[in-house]
Amino acid sequence: MDYAIETISLTKVFSDWWGRAKVYAVDDLTLQIRPNEVFGLLGPNGSGKTTTIKMLLGLLHPTKGHAFLLGGSGDDPKISAKVGFLPEESYLYRFLNARETLDFYGRLFGLAPKVRELRIEALLDMVGLKAVARRPVGTYSKGMARRIGLAQALINDPDLLILDEPTTGLDPIGTRQIKDLILKLADRGKTILLCSHLLADVEDICDRIAILYGGRIQAEGEVRTLLQKTNKRQIMTGAISDATVHRIQQVLAEEDATCEVTTPMERLETFFIDTVAQAQQQDRPTSGAVSTTQIGDFLTENAAESILDKLVAAPVSAEAPPAAPQTEQADRPEAKPQPQPDKDLLGELTKAKPTPQTERVEPARPSQPTPVKEPAQSREVRKDVLDSLTGKTPKPEVEKPHPPDEPQEGGRHDA
Amino acid sequence: MRRTWAVAKNTIRQALRMKVAIIFVVLLLVLLPIMGLTATGDGTLKGRLQTFVSYGLSLTSLLLCLLTIIVSIYTVTSDIEQRQIYTVVTKPIRRYELILGKLLGVIVLDVGLLVVFAGIVYSVTVFMPEFFDASDAELHQVKNEFYTARASLVPPELDVSQEVQEVYDELEKDGQLEAAYPNMTREEILDTLTARKRLEKQAVAAGGRLLWEFENVRPLDPNQSLFIRFKYDVSVTPPDGDVYGIWQIGDLRQFQYGGEIVTPIWPEERRDPIRTFREIEVPARVIAADGYLGVEFINNPYNQTVVIFPVEDGLEVLYKAGTFTGNFIKAALLILCRLVFLSCLGVLAASFLSFPVAILFCLVIFTIGTVSGFVLESFDMLSHSIGLVYTYTIGAVIRLLPRFDQYNPTAYLVPARLLTWSLLGRVLVFMVCIKALVLLALALLIFSFRELAKIIV
Repeated sequence: MDYAIETISLTKVFSDWWGRAKVYAVDDLTLQIRPNEVFGLLGPNGSGKTTTIKMLLGLLHPTKGHAFLLGGSGDDPKISAKVGFLPEESYLYRFLNARETLDFYGRLFGLAPKVRELRIEALLDMVGLKAVARRPVGTYSKGMARRIGLAQALINDPDLLILDEPTTGLDPIGTRQIKDLILKLADRGKTILLCSHLLADVEDICDRIAILYGGRIQAEGEVRTLLQKTNKRQIMTGAISDATVHRIQQVLAEEDATCEVTTPMERLETFFIDTVAQAQQQDRPTSGAVSTTQIGDFLTENAAESILDKLVAAPVSAEAPPAAPQTEQADRPEAKPQPQPDKDLLGELTKAKPTPQTERVEPARPSQPTPVKEPAQSREVRKDVLDSLTGKTPKPEVEKPHPPDEPQEGGRHDA
Repeated sequence: MRRTWAVAKNTIRQALRMKVAIIFVVLLLVLLPIMGLTATGDGTLKGRLQTFVSYGLSLTSLLLCLLTIIVSIYTVTSDIEQRQIYTVVTKPIRRYELILGKLLGVIVLDVGLLVVFAGIVYSVTVFMPEFFDASDAELHQVKNEFYTARASLVPPELDVSQEVQEVYDELEKDGQLEAAYPNMTREEILDTLTARKRLEKQAVAAGGRLLWEFENVRPLDPNQSLFIRFKYDVSVTPPDGDVYGIWQIGDLRQFQYGGEIVTPIWPEERRDPIRTFREIEVPARVIAADGYLGVEFINNPYNQTVVIFPVEDGLEVLYKAGTFTGNFIKAALLILCRLVFLSCLGVLAASFLSFPVAILFCLVIFTIGTVSGFVLESFDMLSHSIGLVYTYTIGAVIRLLPRFDQYNPTAYLVPARLLTWSLLGRVLVFMVCIKALVLLALALLIFSFRELAKIIV
């Protein structure tokens, strides 16, 4: 099988001045990413994600091993014509304005003037920078620069998109937009390599992930397989009466099962987007990026290749879009915070995350794919999580299952 | 090619918008007109023109050289240091295309700026006589001695090795070598003898005569003048410091064979100060049809001293062989060759050094290049005792350096000397086609194989 990205025992050693090996940034990494896959490369800072990407693209030479992009080398213009790359920060020419920036990159791809013009307009619309397209990029805020960086990566309508921390510095709408974009591109049969440590983003959109630590893969697999809990089910209902709830609980009691009843809250993300959308309807002026959720026409249109795309994409695209809602739903039954510890948790967690009380917020929390031992000390637990995440054993706690009253994180990895 | 041009355009934009180039442009725009007003030279119109052309063009050349070094280094190193290169080389562009694009951008920028500023210097030079009340004599002088391009003929170097060898052998036979030249090697003695012999050939005792013969003298226009430029040196300084000379210029072979005088012989008796360059203006029709020209100097017996014409620049024949405009354009091209060389050097330095180090490196090379004649001479002085080691180490390196001083355009424009195409071709071949291309090839090689990303763990 031809992989979109393949590395064979890729190793990068940084040596000191005397040539002595100092740091194994990437160590014997073997990775295979199939076409039309949305692959998430995760890991803490300094785990070798970016180094891997740089080797894929030929910016660094591997000390050992090989890296292939679309079956060839990243240096080859024939290959790089089909690749889009967004580096970890948008390194842009500060003296060019947005339009000139995109025009420059379009020229590097040898796009015909007409195509270039159309795409630049579509991309500027998409990233909401049309109004400020005449300002030098050097005067942009970080998020705006990020948007141009993204537009730059998409100008060739790439088959393979490599995104290194795409959502850093972006507002929630921009983040949502990137996620939508990735899913749409995946629908069209594109392959996406996403490198991030914002786990919420990754969980929403990735088909498969690998977790790197110390330059080695610690865990790899399909997100659903890694995260799904087979011993739980979730029922969503409309607004039913308390009596009905009571009857349901009785029915469950016959099966010797318990259930938890709460009123779902909106996700903060959804709430934020709605609020900003309302403000936009009132035409409030902004000097920054205009938030849109639209996606460039040429990126979504199914032109001549559409049939082929569909054929190729069929198995994955059928699963990919529902992936996000599915995870969200899967979270709900687990979200049974115990009345007592809940208040402590709330106090502590709201500093970092919004409202743990609701199931709806869940997707923001899966940042800890590893189970937690003690429900009451979630602060400490989080450090444990990080340790165990970065340690050699990604799922050390499987042996210690708690009864169903265990907090939400606990169950996530039981699968 | 389209991708290379896209990079080139971007480089030009960068130079202009990052205000690197602007500073130099403003500096030149301010300095050149001021110079036009303040350059007075020796007070004559010719002196004023010479000073302005010399300073104006040197300043333009110097500033453009510095600009080239800075821009060519900056455009490459800033991309690497600020990492825009990540998004550029991952596009379908080869690394050599990227570097060639950068280079092309710098050169196009150079050509543009050179056209503008050489144009300014040229216009000011050409229109300067209109702004000053110059006498007709002065106008005639600048027309013949400045607004022109004169070819220069110097007498061929005489072969004196035979005679030198004879003197040496004789001294050796008599066993007087050691007494006459104590502590000297054979080569050194021969050098001394040769220099002495050459000087003897250029010396005329009182009442004696000296003849120089030139072949292939082809002035542009036979109605124009030609000029004998000479300098006297003497063994005994005359009381008034002047030498009385009798000159005969023309086809002197006609006397020899006693035939009919076809082309006129130009006789001139004159009195000139010693150790100063003087020019005799002679109508060009004295040149024989086959391009032969004889110049004879008779040392007037009243001088009572030996008159010596210094070996290097004692006498030369100048005649109009081109126009000032043509000469000026060639001078600008000479500067352009320099700039192309420096841009290749800059790109090479930037391919493996960081910005400040690369700048330092290039400035050192540039400085050595502008004084390389001096450096070479001083090393040559020391080299006798080092010999082979010198030839193959420092000597070789220095020969690889550019020779800006040798091809200094103002050295041609100020005395209105013709800058020949062959000289320009030689510069083009050696400085651009060989040295610059070697540098560029090295730069492309290093850049193609180096890691562009910073090492971050």
